[in-house]
Amino acid sequence: MTTMVSFEQVSKRYAGGVGRYRSLRDELARTYATVLGRPVPDVTTVDALRDISFEVAEGEAIAIIGPNGAGKTTALRIMSRITYPTTGVVRVRGRVGALLEVGTGMHPELTGRENVQLYGRILGHAGRDIDRRFDAIVDFAGVADSIDRPVKQYSSGMQLRLGFSVAAHLDPDILVVDEAIAVGDAGFQYRCVERMRELVHDGRTLIFVSHDMSAVETLCDRAILLDRGEIRAEGRSGEVIEGYLGAVEASRIEDEAPLGVAHGDRMEVTGVSIRDRSGRPVVEVPAGEPMTVRLEYSAHEPVDGPIFSVGLADARIGVFTLASMLIDGEAPDRLEGRGHVDCTFESLPLYPRTYEIWVSVRGAAGYGDLVDWRRFALVRVTGGAGGKGRGAMTHTLADAPVKIPYRWTIESQPTR
Amino acid sequence: MNAAALAELWVFREVFWAFTVRFVKVKYKQAFVGIGWAVIQPVVAAAVLGLTLGRLTNVPSEGIPYLLFALAGMVGWTYFSTAAGTAMESLVDDRELLRKVYFPRETLPLGAVAGAIVDLAPALLTLFVFAFAYGELPTPAWLALPLPLVLLVLTAAALGLAFAGLNVYYRDVRYAMPYVLQLGLFLSPVLYPSRLLDEPWRTVYEIANPVAAALDGLRTIVARGDWPDWSVTFAALAWSMVLTLLGYAILKRLERGFADRA
Repeated sequence: MTTMVSFEQVSKRYAGGVGRYRSLRDELARTYATVLGRPVPDVTTVDALRDISFEVAEGEAIAIIGPNGAGKTTALRIMSRITYPTTGVVRVRGRVGALLEVGTGMHPELTGRENVQLYGRILGHAGRDIDRRFDAIVDFAGVADSIDRPVKQYSSGMQLRLGFSVAAHLDPDILVVDEAIAVGDAGFQYRCVERMRELVHDGRTLIFVSHDMSAVETLCDRAILLDRGEIRAEGRSGEVIEGYLGAVEASRIEDEAPLGVAHGDRMEVTGVSIRDRSGRPVVEVPAGEPMTVRLEYSAHEPVDGPIFSVGLADARIGVFTLASMLIDGEAPDRLEGRGHVDCTFESLPLYPRTYEIWVSVRGAAGYGDLVDWRRFALVRVTGGAGGKGRGAMTHTLADAPVKIPYRWTIESQPTR
Repeated sequence: MNAAALAELWVFREVFWAFTVRFVKVKYKQAFVGIGWAVIQPVVAAAVLGLTLGRLTNVPSEGIPYLLFALAGMVGWTYFSTAAGTAMESLVDDRELLRKVYFPRETLPLGAVAGAIVDLAPALLTLFVFAFAYGELPTPAWLALPLPLVLLVLTAAALGLAFAGLNVYYRDVRYAMPYVLQLGLFLSPVLYPSRLLDEPWRTVYEIANPVAAALDGLRTIVARGDWPDWSVTFAALAWSMVLTLLGYAILKRLERGFADRA
């Protein structure tokens, strides 16, 4: 199989301290200092990529994922010959259709039609190819009505659609897409993904950078996880994504761990911990298993009938389930000194993800907070979503948290 | 000289052409007088100079009416300074493109130089009309007209390529440029004849500064109906080609850092 893109021990270093462009004065000052043997003004550097090696074969669809500042865009820029590596060798075979950011190459004063002609040529295509595809490009972008108006009158969405459409219709051997579809409306995003899938199906090579893990998983067989300029993982996209999301959540739990103390006038919650079925403290609970939330308290004076509440939330406003003594009426008569209160959830019918645990303690009358209602801990629910559908792996925060057992029944009658 | 780079420029020739068209189209968008400016600029400059310099100081003009003399100079000079100036700014002006799309970078300054020719055409026609008005009708020597024009294009391309690249690295170029071009107006025989210099210095000067050879040639042909000085013209042509290749080499040398610095 032909290798379309290969990176061999590629590093890219940017000069940081001096700024993106230098003035002649800075340069003269540096020369002056060098000549006189004085200390040369410091140039701090940023390593955008460190010793990266990978290959992309013809017809392959590969994703590069990772947190912001990982070096993803730098890698794409090097592939597109926009910038060059500091060290290492890059080989690219064939014509690259690069789509880095919105509205690339559009000139605001020119009409949509003129821009298609111009941008198509900048991407290295002959005039007759552009003419042949012109209608398809305009249709796909959905700007047929305004094609003869200057692009400065277009909305940013229209500019983006036209830009993507030109790049995606001119038969690039390699299509490089960076976050470009993140801005379009949902319908256009769907069409972009479909178009990219078509190109891959036709044997084109796709290199895709996105934070949209479900798009990545839909499109790409293979993924590379970049972090701070280094390759952390490479392999089947599902596995790499799972590892990446896991690491993101783990670091979130670590960052936010010391939440668990709250001081009140009469009592305080000194610790919140999660325990599994056997009572061991854990940070992860498998979906479907029971979970116990243990609240350690310390009462400064005897407290009569304190009302504990424990809720679970995802990133949305409000909790989606609540265990409250105000409702079930199981408040203790009196608490003194130190101790703990356990709240056990029988099972967690939840999709795997990180959840927040919210806690409050109120006085017997049901008002007057002893400990304010707030987030105390994070818990990660693990396990596959238990399906084999496309979204089983990448079920993200935007989707519903609770999984009530359900089944589908499908009836169909052939029409005569 | 990098033959591979030239071969690639050929592959991307449509990009060069697309930029040329864009420079022309964008220039007079939303301008009421539009391409009329291409005529107004040299004519007004020549008229003002003709009334002041020509009347007050009696600059020698080789027997040509001073207004016609100055107009020929201004038409040539206006093209040169517009083309070189636009080319020098072209890469910095389109830095967003440099940061996002690959194409041979020289197509932008070259497109600027070529696009400015559209301004040169109406200005030249105006010059012809003035020449007719002064009784200078076309002679066979007018066949040599392309030579001084090619000289202007090549010299503008040489400067445009080199300084467009340097401008990306050092924005000082952007601020120095108007002064340098203004200085060039006085260092070239736009408003005075190069015959003020004695031979052989005049020949050396006209070859070293191909713009001088071009302006002299243009004037000799249009305002006097004579053939240009062949040896000077061809020596200047050769020299301006060397300069263009030099400018091209400088741009190619700097090109790799463009996206990181633009």
